[in-house]
Amino acid sequence: MDLNEKIKILSDSAKYDVSCSSSGSSRKNKKGGIGNAAPSGICHSWTPDGRCISLLKILFTNYCIYDCKYCVNRSSNDIPRASFTTDELVNLIINFYRRNYIEGLFLSSAVCVSPDHTMELLLKSVKRLREEFNFNGYIHVKAIPGASNALIEETGKYVDRMSINIELPSDESLKLLAPQKTKESIIKPMGLIKSGIIQYQEEKLKFKNAPQFVPGGQSTQLIVGATKENDLKILKLSEYLYNSYKLKRVYYSAYVPVSNHPNLPAISRPPLLREHRLYQADWLLRFYGFSSDELLNEEHPNFDELLDPKSGWAIRNLDKFPVEINKADYYTLLRVPGIGVKSAQRIVQGRKVSMLDFSDLKKLGIVLKRAKYFITCKGKYFPQRSIPTNPVSIKSRLLLEDNIKTHENIEQLSFFTLFPDIMAAEGEL
Amino acid sequence: MLYYIYDGTFDGLLTAIYDSYYKKDFPEQIVPQDNFTDNFLINKVYIRTDEEKSKKVHDAILQKISRGAMANIMYAYLSEHENAGIFILEYLRFGFKVGKIIDSYLADDRVNNINKLVTKVAREKHLLAGIIRFRLLQNNIYYALIEPQYNTICLLGKHFAGRMSDQVFVIHDVKRSYGVFYDKTKWFMSDIEINKDIVLHEKEIFYQELWKRYFDGITIESRLNPKLQSNHMPKRYWKYLIEMN
Ligand code: SF4
Repeated sequence: MDLNEKIKILSDSAKYDVSCSSSGSSRKNKKGGIGNAAPSGICHSWTPDGRCISLLKILFTNYCIYDCKYCVNRSSNDIPRASFTTDELVNLIINFYRRNYIEGLFLSSAVCVSPDHTMELLLKSVKRLREEFNFNGYIHVKAIPGASNALIEETGKYVDRMSINIELPSDESLKLLAPQKTKESIIKPMGLIKSGIIQYQEEKLKFKNAPQFVPGGQSTQLIVGATKENDLKILKLSEYLYNSYKLKRVYYSAYVPVSNHPNLPAISRPPLLREHRLYQADWLLRFYGFSSDELLNEEHPNFDELLDPKSGWAIRNLDKFPVEINKADYYTLLRVPGIGVKSAQRIVQGRKVSMLDFSDLKKLGIVLKRAKYFITCKGKYFPQRSIPTNPVSIKSRLLLEDNIKTHENIEQLSFFTLFPDIMAAEGEL
Repeated sequence: MLYYIYDGTFDGLLTAIYDSYYKKDFPEQIVPQDNFTDNFLINKVYIRTDEEKSKKVHDAILQKISRGAMANIMYAYLSEHENAGIFILEYLRFGFKVGKIIDSYLADDRVNNINKLVTKVAREKHLLAGIIRFRLLQNNIYYALIEPQYNTICLLGKHFAGRMSDQVFVIHDVKRSYGVFYDKTKWFMSDIEINKDIVLHEKEIFYQELWKRYFDGITIESRLNPKLQSNHMPKRYWKYLIEMN
């Protein structure tokens, strides 16, 4: 089979993995070598679905011994199959990299022959890239569930990021849709990588040249909408992963219908809006100091599709508002709907030299569309005929303002969801 | 109306700043000679670029304002905005008054005008770091063509020299007819005039085809959103993108 055909098959199979971020690592180039990592990540192109291409995201092979129901590569699915040789793969990476098509490699694989056999193939590829080609660009490798500790640990020495996709957010769902995988086979390597990273970070403090281990951290992906878990359950799981496993990122992937198995929901389009709300909430956990309990509870276990999670929270907690722009501390500012990390930083910086009023805020680039219901400047509300102060009318106002541009908004959705980490820090909710 | 006209170089611009201080002038505009259209109402002062004067302004900025302010005016200059010169003068006058806290005055027009230009240039620089495409030529040079909106490629030399440290490359700004060159040891800038046909390496088309194949394969049809695509990557940059042609 020629390389064109292989690329077609093996990229097609990899595309549902949404992670493409190349951030978080600052690996340096070596003398006479090629490549380095940019800590903030770089996008190299955008596909017609609006997603950024940063890493060459590809499978080593799509031959699979497993039969996970939600997956295009499941063994029972009748699709064309292909495998790279390591030679083909490493040459492809180097030649793409030299032409500045890509920021590095995101290598994943279906499970071919056995988990260990597959993991060995991945290890061999990244080892050759690093040692034979002196390649120092970004490498993200998927750890194969069920592979031996030794293989996973050794791979960790060569890569910038590792991930194990949980995909299904509960035990029952795993049993239902991926009966050959167990929770243990996923959780165990995660724990292993976590301790490797902790050890590396400790050694780094002591010796300057401590051997690297997954310096860009680990991540995972959850599929949204293939099973019946509600948003609360998903967000709780993410929170747990951030706190206990120190994950860098949890990605959410709206389930794209690829099969009509009876255990799968019959939907025609991926639930993009829901995915979008989860990403927004995820940001609130990571950068805004929110906890999942504040955003959702058993009574309201799902996000309002019409309203972003922060506005939803603010409306339920009106006793905490309005917030005075010239006095509130940074974290309080961050909790105001419409004020993101960048805006809050600007406010804190700008008010050092003078008290801010609403026209100053505009000059600072702060969007008041949402914020105006929740803030005062020098003790006064936004000068508009009537700023409502009760939850029901604030909500209807927010929705009204959104509706003016509903169509655009829906198209804008994946803007937030699929841009690499750099957007996350800048994204304004 | 008083206009300062300089030779278009950064040194020239800093010399203009120096002269305006020395002569206590308040010019209406500071413009590069190439962008200047004369009319009879304009009083013209032609600036003689002087590296010593330029260095004095440079040192004063570092001493009395900040390193960040120096970077800001450099970026603003690269924006080639019609008001860049006068915005920079106003920003520096303000900076010499208030010192290093200048960048907290976000709501002040003198600061805001500069910040807007800086953001645009920084954004293009980051975008170009990703969307520049090298083509391998027969003589083993990696050659990239690009038509940036701002004068940004000089900001990319360091990035690519660090990254592609073992390959000879040229990044050619077609609009401004100059380029960044790297010879495996150092990078530099120079004018470019092409007088020979450019011949691709025999393998070049092969990799271009593979890249296109990849680009098509990775698109998810059920999520198509071309508007989002062109928001991120405006169409004016598509001309030299292999995957878009
Ligand atoms: S093991 Fe991976 S590739 Fe194989 S069917 Fe399951 S999810 Fe798909």
